Amino acid sequence: MLNEILSALQSVATLQNLLIMIAGIWGGVIVGAIPGMTGTMAVTLALPFTFYMDPVPSILLLVALYKGSTYGGSVSAILIKTPGTASAACTALDGYPLAQQGKAGKALNMALYSSVIGDFISNLSLIFFAAPLAILALRIGPPEFFMLMLFALTTVAGVSGNSLLLGLVSAALGLLLATVGEDMYGSFRFAFTPDMQAGLSIAPVLIGLFALPELIKLVVMRVAKKEKAATLGAQHVTREEFMGSLRSILKGSVIGSVLGAIPGIGPSSAAFFSYGEAQRSSKRGSNFGKGELEGIAASESANNGACGATMIPLLALGVPGDVITGVMLGAFMIQGLTPGPLLFQTNMHEVYMLLIGMLISSVLLFFAGKATMRMFAKVSYIPQTLLTPLVLLLCIFGIYSIASSTFDVAVLLVMGVVGFGMFLLNIPAAPFLIAFILGPMLEENLRRAMAISRGDPSVLLSTPITWIFAALIVFALGFTLRREIRKTKTERQVAQ
Amino acid sequence: MSKPVLRGLVIAAFFALTAFALVPTFVPRPAFIPGFAPPPDMWPRAVSLIGIALGLLALCLALTRPAAQEEPVETDGSSPWRMGLRFAGLVGVFGLFLLLIPYLGFLLSTMALTLVVVLMTGERDHKLWIFLLSFVGPGLLLLFFTYSLGTQFPKGALTKPFGF
Amino acid sequence: MKKLLGSIALAMIAMTGPLAAQTYPEQAVTLVVPYGPGGASDLAGRALAETAQPALGQPLTVMNRPGAGGMNGARSVAAADADGYTLLLARVGMALSPAVMPGSAVPWDSYTFLGMLEATPMILAVRSDAPYDSVEALIAAIEGDKGSMTYAASGATAIDGFTTQALLADNDLDPLTAATLVPYKGGGALATALLGGHVDFVAMSAGSLMPHIESGDLKALMVFAPKRMESLPEVATAQELGYETAGQIAGWSALYGPKDLPEAVVAKWNTVLSDVATNEQWLELARRRGSISTIGDVDMTEFAKQQYELFHGLAKDFGYLPN
Repeated sequence: MLNEILSALQSVATLQNLLIMIAGIWGGVIVGAIPGMTGTMAVTLALPFTFYMDPVPSILLLVALYKGSTYGGSVSAILIKTPGTASAACTALDGYPLAQQGKAGKALNMALYSSVIGDFISNLSLIFFAAPLAILALRIGPPEFFMLMLFALTTVAGVSGNSLLLGLVSAALGLLLATVGEDMYGSFRFAFTPDMQAGLSIAPVLIGLFALPELIKLVVMRVAKKEKAATLGAQHVTREEFMGSLRSILKGSVIGSVLGAIPGIGPSSAAFFSYGEAQRSSKRGSNFGKGELEGIAASESANNGACGATMIPLLALGVPGDVITGVMLGAFMIQGLTPGPLLFQTNMHEVYMLLIGMLISSVLLFFAGKATMRMFAKVSYIPQTLLTPLVLLLCIFGIYSIASSTFDVAVLLVMGVVGFGMFLLNIPAAPFLIAFILGPMLEENLRRAMAISRGDPSVLLSTPITWIFAALIVFALGFTLRREIRKTKTERQVAQ
Repeated sequence: MSKPVLRGLVIAAFFALTAFALVPTFVPRPAFIPGFAPPPDMWPRAVSLIGIALGLLALCLALTRPAAQEEPVETDGSSPWRMGLRFAGLVGVFGLFLLLIPYLGFLLSTMALTLVVVLMTGERDHKLWIFLLSFVGPGLLLLFFTYSLGTQFPKGALTKPFGF
Repeated sequence: MKKLLGSIALAMIAMTGPLAAQTYPEQAVTLVVPYGPGGASDLAGRALAETAQPALGQPLTVMNRPGAGGMNGARSVAAADADGYTLLLARVGMALSPAVMPGSAVPWDSYTFLGMLEATPMILAVRSDAPYDSVEALIAAIEGDKGSMTYAASGATAIDGFTTQALLADNDLDPLTAATLVPYKGGGALATALLGGHVDFVAMSAGSLMPHIESGDLKALMVFAPKRMESLPEVATAQELGYETAGQIAGWSALYGPKDLPEAVVAKWNTVLSDVATNEQWLELARRRGSISTIGDVDMTEFAKQQYELFHGLAKDFGYLPN
């Protein structure tokens, strides 16, 4: 065993492999940080190059791109409220207010530390717990999946801002819009035009809802912030701040590692899950959404944690959990390696090389993040009246390129107008997005569970895993209710 | 009509429209589905009904309770009428942009859109940057995406002879 | 007279058609893959892109346009300019969707058929701890359970749903109610559902199942393909077992273009495809995907028509369409 690890270390630690990983990580961070460009784009772009590379370096390149872009998404989320990936949506909730308070440096550093820690922990869990986690993942059937997603949906209560009622309205809107397009039995719902048969993609909805209202506000209200953000250098995360968030970072990393191992959940849901959990358990819970470093820590540790853990079902079962791991599966097969249980028997040397390479790339992520942060922090010198149109331009090109679809560009613009309308009516946007992403998984697994049980709803509470999540849901609802009642009481006292 | 009342009405009306007009017309049943499996309209209908309930609740609260303090929207002091016009103008520009793509092509349309949007934000000072952003920016992006991802951006019916 | 008309028509094409057709291709050609990246069709598209480039003389760039069961990408190609710069990696869905959804899908014949690429076998599989060792045993269990056995498929009218329904029909069972279909999205999710024991059996494309069959977690009962698979020599095909309808169902990939492609483009692709057919890398990549290269084996126009008619007939028999 030790010999094998040492020989794998020797094969990985070549200059060429290091360069490939540095290029992948750094490229990923930059792509993720540019609004409108996504990690999927980076991975798809790199795929043809891997045809000519050795198996292990080519997978390491793709993994590096995935990790880098997942972190990179937080950079634009914090600086310009344009989450590069859906998993950075919760990061924008606290990161952008911090940037407006002139604390962008703190926010970016906190995002980087929690991403690197989350990533490292999930790589360790891949090395030590891949087999048990993969077995756990297989036990998650439709009823368990539904209950898990229902619990993740309770995060809505945490991101609703001042009014829980309006947060719920926003979530209902998100659930509804998520049903547009082809459903699981092949019916086209709300397909007013042929384009709508394919449904609304996440990227244009996400960016339209978060970034575009800023532009519309600027055009309609014309309040451009003139003051410049302070330089980054003076804004280290203090020891105290870091220790205060450490619990959320560790919890987020574990949540990410476990949820990421379940195919189909992915980094976004893990980030929502962790953010909701941190908000409920933190002493500073009421400050979440107004610029709380711990919120960034919870969201970023979980999304990078999940990103490493998606490799668990891929390697141990040969099952891709999302689009990016789907591309990686393709890369494996092109290389003549078949992921799955047999890989650990037939290609142990390659597996060790991969695992060691992933640990090294966690460390590289730290430096690539630091370097990119300085580059992108210059963004704060661009006046808003030029910056927001630039973001619009980048998003239009990026969104078009994802699927060569003018319809997606139209969705982007329309969602911007909808987001502005929601802003005017004080309806928060974050619950919409969370419900939009979780909605299809909720609905499909409910319908699947009912099909398997032949219409018997008790299937939703038929296994120990579903009981655990049911208990958690009851707990979260009780917590939210108690908080609402207290809030109403204090409001009354203030009024009197 | 105060803002909370209007809000409650808008929410309830939107979900009512979905539940009673859009779902029956635009959610077809497939040719076959097992009798015990929930049909495609189950979920949208349930969500819409919840939405109506939430909207009505918001309406009731707005009518019975004294309006809670909501933060006023920050503006440059223009009249609501003027701001409404700016908003309508921007929506019009977005619409026009989508309509123009088939005729002018992706490149020219995005150039025009960017220029108009920058001017609409009230930016007049950085003339060179405005020019670079709206004319050089789209060109560079087009080249980048064409060469790296092989994306083919739509050419315009009018500009096709010129190759873009 | 006919000859004269023919030469006039040719001259017309030469005059009106873009002059570029003479020197096709002058720029990169886009290959639209109507499904997401990483799947079996994407891999087939990328393998073609890699191996066609030398003979084509220009890059062939793959673009994924997923959605609406492949119809999204298919529609974009059918509506594209017929200049040979936008082509489609067609799958069995391009014949199946219009056969079962005549209203909303792109008609099966709205393309120029450039040629068939590969056949992709499908496998009927169960978990290795399941008590059935043959198709008959599985069918007997299905009959005994009165509809409560479940199978995973991408959708009722998707190819991996039709495989099971055809098998049920061949055994005089009701294809729609004898077993319960549980829809999942994508080959990976289907395989996971079976691995986790959430459904009882699947009949889906070999690519996503082979690793689990090789590792011993799943066992193959039958193959939907014209001949036995090299990697599963002991597993019989549906035809061999005497299943008439199921024996006709198999997956495939082909290369399509928009309708009325210029002669020069069609001729160029004939040359390119015959070059690819003997390309070592293409054959090797096809083997790794678990598919069989069939370039040049059949007349694609005729084959597409047959496939459409087959599925249209089945859709009527199964009750998806009124008779």
